[in-house]
Amino acid sequence: MSEQTSEARVALVGHPNAGKTTLFNALTGQRQKVGNYTGVTVEKTTGEFYTPHGVRFEVIDLPGCYSLAPNSPDEMVTRDVLLGVQEGEATPDLVLCVLDASNLERHLYLLLQVIDLGYPVVTALNKIDQAEAQGLRLDPTALSETFGVPFVPLSALTEKGFVALKQSLRFPLPTAPDRHWKGSHELEEALTNLEKITGEAKLPRPAGQALQLLSDPTYSESSHLPEKVRSAAQEQGSFEANISQLRSEFVQRGVDAGLRRPDEESLQLTDKIDAYALHRIGGWGIFIAMMLTVFWTIFRFAEVPMGWVEAGQGALGSWVGSFFAGGDFRDLIVDGIIGGVGSVVVFLPQILLLFFFIGLLESSGYMTRAAYLMDGVMSKVGLSGKSFLPLLSGYACAIPGVMATRSIPSAKERLATILILPWTSCTARLPVYILLMPLLMPGAGSQALLLFGIYALGTLTALLAAKILRPRLGPIEPAQFMLELPPYQKPQWGFILRQVFERAFSFLKKAGTIILGISILLWFLETYPKSDSDDPAVQREASFMGMAGQVIEPVVEPLGWDARTGTAMLTSFAAREVFVSSLAISYSVDEEEEGAEDRLRDKLANAKRADGSPLFTPLTALSLLIFFIYALQCLPTTAVVRRETNSWKWALGQLGGMTLFAYLAALAVFQIGSLF
Amino acid sequence: MSSLALELERDSALTLSQAAIGCEFQIKQVEGAACRQLREIGFCEQMRVKKITNGRNMLCTVCGTRLALSKDLADQIQVVRVVPA
Repeated sequence: MSEQTSEARVALVGHPNAGKTTLFNALTGQRQKVGNYTGVTVEKTTGEFYTPHGVRFEVIDLPGCYSLAPNSPDEMVTRDVLLGVQEGEATPDLVLCVLDASNLERHLYLLLQVIDLGYPVVTALNKIDQAEAQGLRLDPTALSETFGVPFVPLSALTEKGFVALKQSLRFPLPTAPDRHWKGSHELEEALTNLEKITGEAKLPRPAGQALQLLSDPTYSESSHLPEKVRSAAQEQGSFEANISQLRSEFVQRGVDAGLRRPDEESLQLTDKIDAYALHRIGGWGIFIAMMLTVFWTIFRFAEVPMGWVEAGQGALGSWVGSFFAGGDFRDLIVDGIIGGVGSVVVFLPQILLLFFFIGLLESSGYMTRAAYLMDGVMSKVGLSGKSFLPLLSGYACAIPGVMATRSIPSAKERLATILILPWTSCTARLPVYILLMPLLMPGAGSQALLLFGIYALGTLTALLAAKILRPRLGPIEPAQFMLELPPYQKPQWGFILRQVFERAFSFLKKAGTIILGISILLWFLETYPKSDSDDPAVQREASFMGMAGQVIEPVVEPLGWDARTGTAMLTSFAAREVFVSSLAISYSVDEEEEGAEDRLRDKLANAKRADGSPLFTPLTALSLLIFFIYALQCLPTTAVVRRETNSWKWALGQLGGMTLFAYLAALAVFQIGSLF
Repeated sequence: MSSLALELERDSALTLSQAAIGCEFQIKQVEGAACRQLREIGFCEQMRVKKITNGRNMLCTVCGTRLALSKDLADQIQVVRVVPA
């Protein structure tokens, strides 16, 4: 049996964001915050871990660094610990180099620097799953052979490959490989000289010291070194460029041996596609054509599954209804619950299709091209491409969009982005749009065009608002735009489908909770208090909803809406989709023949005013549409804006301002439209 | 003198935004307000970079990754031309 052996010190070295801290936590079990911000490990952090043979290792998480020629105080600590000149720190016995496998080229240089210091090294090839997902083919064996140190592929997040890593961290420690490259005669001579001098000065790892002195001018001036060593190093002159050239060449050899990018031809293909997709004029043509196709497809293909949902809902309503005698309870189930929730669920296919296309564009690599194109537009209104991605998430839902603005470095630009963000049309508006659009124009083609117009209108108004707002918030800094454009690739279907399913689930969850609750409440408000009359119109007037309608009617009348539409709009401040259920419930109490399975939009098309004229003329529908494009009817968004701006003033100002703007815009549309 | 050679090399460096399209360069120095951010995304010293297009946001590849970069950032990257062997 092996007894408890003396412990060894293992130092974790790697770039910031290579996953060093995650790996450290996973190894030591010590909880520590893992953030996205670089430099989260500024402090010295240590922990301990036991090898499979029960040997205790002390683990030090050194500050993240890009190279051992430091650019910041953090990086200097890492260098000085490894060279044994950091006060109060013993040198480690083994270095665990953490590399990001998805960005291997940039990380290998640091590994080579550590090897050059003469340390035994184990290399953790982290984020291997991510690298594979990008289509990179890594050959750990070839890398191990080239660099002379073990490479262990793993994923610190999922702890895949951990057993192998623990197996490689054990006694006896691996031997330190020799330096992999050979310099000119002059350089080698200088190294031998300095090695002798640093050895005499009792510095640890003299060969590594010599190399560091010649390759890092800040080190040869370091006050931690004896005067004799410093002057000797300065006499030798600089070999910085020479050494880094030799190292780069070796790293390139390592890359050639151990890494295959999917590229060569795929990158060329990317070049070819980008020549069109990023073209100053052609790029926009492609962008617009692509968006139109997406919207058209949403209408064309969603018809079929929507028919199924509607038929299912109708069948369910009559089947459930057949169990109950006529009465309030039956009405609650059939009209309130099945009708109310069903009217929203029917839009599921369209929402799923939209997410499917967003996923497709994202995973094929086109989405970042769109951001690149948009940067030019954004800069014209005082924003940058950094604002584009939050705004883009706003098309799905304003809440993640507002949260994504955290990545915008300029506080003023961030505020401006938050303030305009709800004008990018979120998916909650989609059911309302889809309900109203056929009242405006028939045909999938023209509706797709209309939907594109709706999105464009919201977006343009948002940008215009930014242009007006942004200079009033503070001076505009010069744009610092940087964006990675991944090569075009085959879509990852699994990823897309997972996203679509997640979205479907959260949509149905909302339908089953908030919308169900509000549907029941709305049904109650429509049904009580009871009047003596059997006439549904009289009953509606007498209900709570009828009373509310009378209050709201004078306000919404100039917009061309009736009292029921007005109350439906009021209820939609809880969630926009509720507008649809609210109308469905409102108009189903009107139903003369029981069991009619007309679509809600047919009911709306046939709805009449008191004087017998049709209620939902194209102009009324347009005025409603305009209201919904501009109104911020989403209390959760207001809550998130309050949190992110830390100000009720901005959050409530945004809510009030957008509602007022929506009202005035709808008013202008209806009043001006009525003139013709 | 090696220091003279070094000086000459520094003089021949240009910023990435001045660099010519279609050529390969080696990064000599990254210096400026955004240097940390640039290093993170792959613009480290010694790395090779190929410039693809000019413009307000120029395109280049570094470590096999395509990047769009505003002129302001590209000004912070000093490069020297890599002469094909």
